[in-house]
Amino acid sequence: MTLRAFLAGAAMTLALAACSHNPPSPDNQYGANPPLPDPIQYLFPPMGIAKPVGWASGQTPTVPAGFTITPFATDLKTPRRVLPLPNGDVLVAESDDPGYEPTLRPKDVVFGLVIGQAHGPTKAANDVLLLRDTNGDGKADQKIVLISGLNSPFGMAVSGGKLYVAETDAIKVWDFTPGQTSVTGPPRLLTELPGGPIDHHWTKDIVISPDGTKLYAGVGSNSNIVERGLEAEKGRARILEVELPSGASRPFATGLRNPNGLTFNPDTGQLWAVVNERDEIGQNLVPDYLTSVKDGAFYGWPWSYYGAHVDIRVRPTRTDKVKAAIPPDYSLSSHVAPLGLAFAPASWPANYAKGAFIGEHGSWDRNVFNGYEVSFVPFAGGKPSGPKQHFLTGFVKDGKARGRPVGVGFGPDNALYVADDVGNVVWRIAPAAAPRT
Amino acid sequence: MAREVFFPRVTILGVPIHAMLVPFPIACFTGAMLTDITYSNSPQVQWANFSQWLLAVGLIMGVLAAIFGLIDFLAAGRARPRIGWFHLAGNAVILILALFNNLVHARDGWTGVVPTGLTLSVITFLLMLVTGFLGWRMAYVHVGEPA
Repeated sequence: MTLRAFLAGAAMTLALAACSHNPPSPDNQYGANPPLPDPIQYLFPPMGIAKPVGWASGQTPTVPAGFTITPFATDLKTPRRVLPLPNGDVLVAESDDPGYEPTLRPKDVVFGLVIGQAHGPTKAANDVLLLRDTNGDGKADQKIVLISGLNSPFGMAVSGGKLYVAETDAIKVWDFTPGQTSVTGPPRLLTELPGGPIDHHWTKDIVISPDGTKLYAGVGSNSNIVERGLEAEKGRARILEVELPSGASRPFATGLRNPNGLTFNPDTGQLWAVVNERDEIGQNLVPDYLTSVKDGAFYGWPWSYYGAHVDIRVRPTRTDKVKAAIPPDYSLSSHVAPLGLAFAPASWPANYAKGAFIGEHGSWDRNVFNGYEVSFVPFAGGKPSGPKQHFLTGFVKDGKARGRPVGVGFGPDNALYVADDVGNVVWRIAPAAAPRT
Repeated sequence: MAREVFFPRVTILGVPIHAMLVPFPIACFTGAMLTDITYSNSPQVQWANFSQWLLAVGLIMGVLAAIFGLIDFLAAGRARPRIGWFHLAGNAVILILALFNNLVHARDGWTGVVPTGLTLSVITFLLMLVTGFLGWRMAYVHVGEPA
């Protein structure tokens, strides 16, 4: 490389960094074929951190007309996932980063300080709570610690008289039938999962197939883009299929950087997930996505994104992997950080019935916030059928985060439950009763 | 008025602090070039991580060395050696390059080093050969020189 070429490159980097202050709106990035700008190599990656302030008494996120919202439970300790049970109880996983990730570079020190501002003062409980509304007023009046002392629990599933909880390094099983308010006995280990010593993406989400024979577990990557080395990525960035009850597992789909919100579409029986894509190559790159998860498919991470878009930060290069990579189904736009996914029941208002609701934790790798909402993607015939809509909003106000949505789930009471890990609330959203005529 | 003689003023028991600090940026930036070259030949992240620490420590110690060097140089008055200006300007460029190089190396993966980071490290090393020589010439030839 000549000095002139280098100087030209440096000048371009600075110029691009200078005009990155106004990223184009991400709204045109929804859907199957999002525009993907050219990657940018930054000197200062764009950042925007929403300082957590929580909700004042009486404040709630904003719902569209025709819906009501109530705080189902408040004063929680970092609720991440919600699992409404068939009897109306709601399980909540309260958890935090296990803190395994070592400081390897000066950058880790700086990033730790910056990103740390996004975290509230609440210390996570690392437990599974059972919330029960005994009088049907839409507010939980019983809050029972079902299991405590867990190692960063996230995914939960109930099936066949068992409760499955995914800690960051293992899936454990308790005897449990909805209606119970306690679990008895020590848990059985179903299978270990890749956990420490780094555990960059630590949230392990799980779901059980409708026939109850298989469990699917998301395992996120150990880095943004293999800056911890390829060795650290063994067994990571994938969805595992775990046989029940044996616990034997195999990779079901790979190349998924950080898959969460594992959910079966009730119409088609297909597995869906939302995936957090890579950072630091653009305000509108790379879009996070919603996708059906195909058996045996490879979705590109780390070598490429959206099919054959090569990530030049990864060495050694693998043209075979880039060729094998398939594009995901539906872009949610860049850096929204989707962590929860649930399909609306057919009983929801026609505009929303059977569509996908997505808990978007919100961006840090943009100057302008994106996400920080529960969004909605309409579905028809088990496939996305229109642009993403903003459903539950108002989490960020005046640049500060009153809340950040994570897990979402529909209860048998026709309500959508949303875990808010900054507001420390589980919100209950229900279609308003039809007006009397 | 006493005759003006070039001699560093900021010293500990007669040893200039600037002279005690300058080996750090020289060794760190040279090391960063070597670890950059190694990384570009075999993309093992430990080499890129070494480069990042060497560049960070090199920059911090370089700035400290520059502060003491600048005080010595400005305090020298009429006895200030002319080549000191070139030593100063060259090292200012080196520290600015090091700042950029730290930012470039903070990128994740291969492009944190290749090609821009490696190029900056090599340019820094070549500049240090010149500014280092000028510095040693001041230390061994000009020190004690009357104005």
